[in-house]
Amino acid sequence: MDVSDILAAHEAKQKAVTVEKDIPLEIDAGFLTVTDLNPVDKESYDADREEYLMSIARDGAQALLAALFSLPTTSSPDGPLAQLPPPTTQLPRAKPLPKPKPPTKWEQFAKAKGIHKTRKDKKVWDEAKQEWVNRWGWKGANKDKEVQWITEVRANADVDHDPVKAARDARKARVAKNEKQHQQNLARAMPLPVGTSSTGAPADRKKQIDRTLAVTRTSTASMGKFDRRLEGEKKLKGVKRKFDPTEISAASEKSRDLAILSKLDKEPSTKKTKSSESSASDVLNVRKAIRSASKGKGSAALAREAGGGKGKNFKKGKR
Amino acid sequence: MAICVKPKNARSKRVLQAREPKEIEDPRTAIFVKGTHAGERANAVMKELMALKRPHAISFSKKNAVRPFEDASSLEFWSQKNDAGMFVVGQSTKKRPHGMTFVRMFDYKVLDMCEVGVDDWKSMAEFKVHTKGDAGTQAYKPMLHFASELFESHPRFVQLKSMLMDFFNGEEIDAIHLAGLEHVISISLGPTPPTMNAATTTLEASTSTSEDPSTLPKVHIRAYTIRLLKSGTLVPRVELTPMRPSLDLSLRRHTEADAELWKQAMRRPKLRKQDVEKGLGEKHKNLEVDEMGDLRGRIRVGKQDLGKLRTQKMKGLKAGRDDMLPGASGSGKP
Repeated sequence: MDVSDILAAHEAKQKAVTVEKDIPLEIDAGFLTVTDLNPVDKESYDADREEYLMSIARDGAQALLAALFSLPTTSSPDGPLAQLPPPTTQLPRAKPLPKPKPPTKWEQFAKAKGIHKTRKDKKVWDEAKQEWVNRWGWKGANKDKEVQWITEVRANADVDHDPVKAARDARKARVAKNEKQHQQNLARAMPLPVGTSSTGAPADRKKQIDRTLAVTRTSTASMGKFDRRLEGEKKLKGVKRKFDPTEISAASEKSRDLAILSKLDKEPSTKKTKSSESSASDVLNVRKAIRSASKGKGSAALAREAGGGKGKNFKKGKR
Repeated sequence: MAICVKPKNARSKRVLQAREPKEIEDPRTAIFVKGTHAGERANAVMKELMALKRPHAISFSKKNAVRPFEDASSLEFWSQKNDAGMFVVGQSTKKRPHGMTFVRMFDYKVLDMCEVGVDDWKSMAEFKVHTKGDAGTQAYKPMLHFASELFESHPRFVQLKSMLMDFFNGEEIDAIHLAGLEHVISISLGPTPPTMNAATTTLEASTSTSEDPSTLPKVHIRAYTIRLLKSGTLVPRVELTPMRPSLDLSLRRHTEADAELWKQAMRRPKLRKQDVEKGLGEKHKNLEVDEMGDLRGRIRVGKQDLGKLRTQKMKGLKAGRDDMLPGASGSGKP
């Protein structure tokens, strides 16, 4: 038995499929690409260009195929598929990376419990009909209760219990609930719009509710004065009424009376002229600004306070 | 996005959702545009490239006066409208005959451009014969072969390699049918001129913008069909038969990507658990995958001093107990 012959034959076969190069070829199996970094041989190039190009291409293809054939394979109905590794060359993306969406309430729950998504089929086996029917859609199994001509009803059921209507309402309610939950998920995933407080949406909502509650409490006939306060309700803050002291100095009394007189001298200004005169009215509501800045006392009081700080205040606010 | 379209029906909503960015991207759609005067050669080459790129190719039928190197706004508008990631603009002028410009986009903005001139080409009448399989679908994925050391060292050729890879093979796929590998596209360069060797390419790169592009070696694109021959081992022997098209290109102008935009384009998504298991990413110590396929972690606790371990409570050994013995001046409880 001459084993050396067989060995030589085997080696020759191996040679036929291996490629020897000065610099080994770089193979990127993920992208089915092979790069040959050996410099192009000028003499062979000049001698017969196409032949030379074909020979180096053949070597490259051989090396790439060798790498591809050595990859692990999975079987599929079409034949063996080779599992490609992730590519080594980095190519730029066409679109920016997607922003990670926060998981929905169900997704968080499912992750915590370890529940996996199960894919449902569109068709479902109907025992009575002995055929595959749609689970939803046209002639779907979810509408069976509304379509069937007879339904069992409990003995103590209402006279006007309509099983068809009840089934339809239940289905519509389910759809509406799902839609509502979907909208809530989307709202939760959205970044908060500019202008919301840093404390967050629940805090805003709480403040909003408190404000509404305060308004309702004073919206009775006697402005909530004689209502009993329930436990848990906060005491309402109101504008503190300030009364002028009974004795004021003669100077302040004089100035007050003169101001009234000067007002009587002036021509009555109509609402229209007032609004047309003010140039900043569209941006700033001057009347309201004065009221809040002077705490209901008026512009004259503000001016006096700014000027002296000593004089007694008198109310000018609108009644 | 500058153009914000609100979907009015379910179909347009689905289209919009399909265009949203994904972690693993779809292959780039290429738009083939003709300039004011494209010429017969550039036209034919663009047609053949489109056949190779189908179905991810759109061809504009009208001629458009577009100058990619001067004004990129029309390119950006088209890419937004058509959701395209690449452009091939064909134009032939007296100064630059038979020119084609490859443009790549990122986030609907121009990333980089490369202009080539087609010196020689051979048509591909026989190509259709080789597309086995279903009628009307694209040819199988080609294998790419790049031959020259300049593809690694010279920045222009690095860009060209990246462009062509994106054009032909940009999609990341998990598995491939081995019998479906049927052609190779080989991109090779002419011999490196003696002025350019590995030591000086990086230095010359800084001056290459002003350098005359005609000193760069020419690019040869050849396509071959593969025949697999029995070789006795698991790996078959490869034989090639030349196939059309074959192109000879020379590099002309180019623009490099803006560094900031390039950095954003190269961002990768965070590696998922499967990839960590495969071994990618930094090697995390204390993580391993057991036979069941679960990811197990090790928590390393320091060495315990077993001498200090308390096994049973011995009330008599409690400190301060002596004071409580009767007879002692005890202030403790009895």
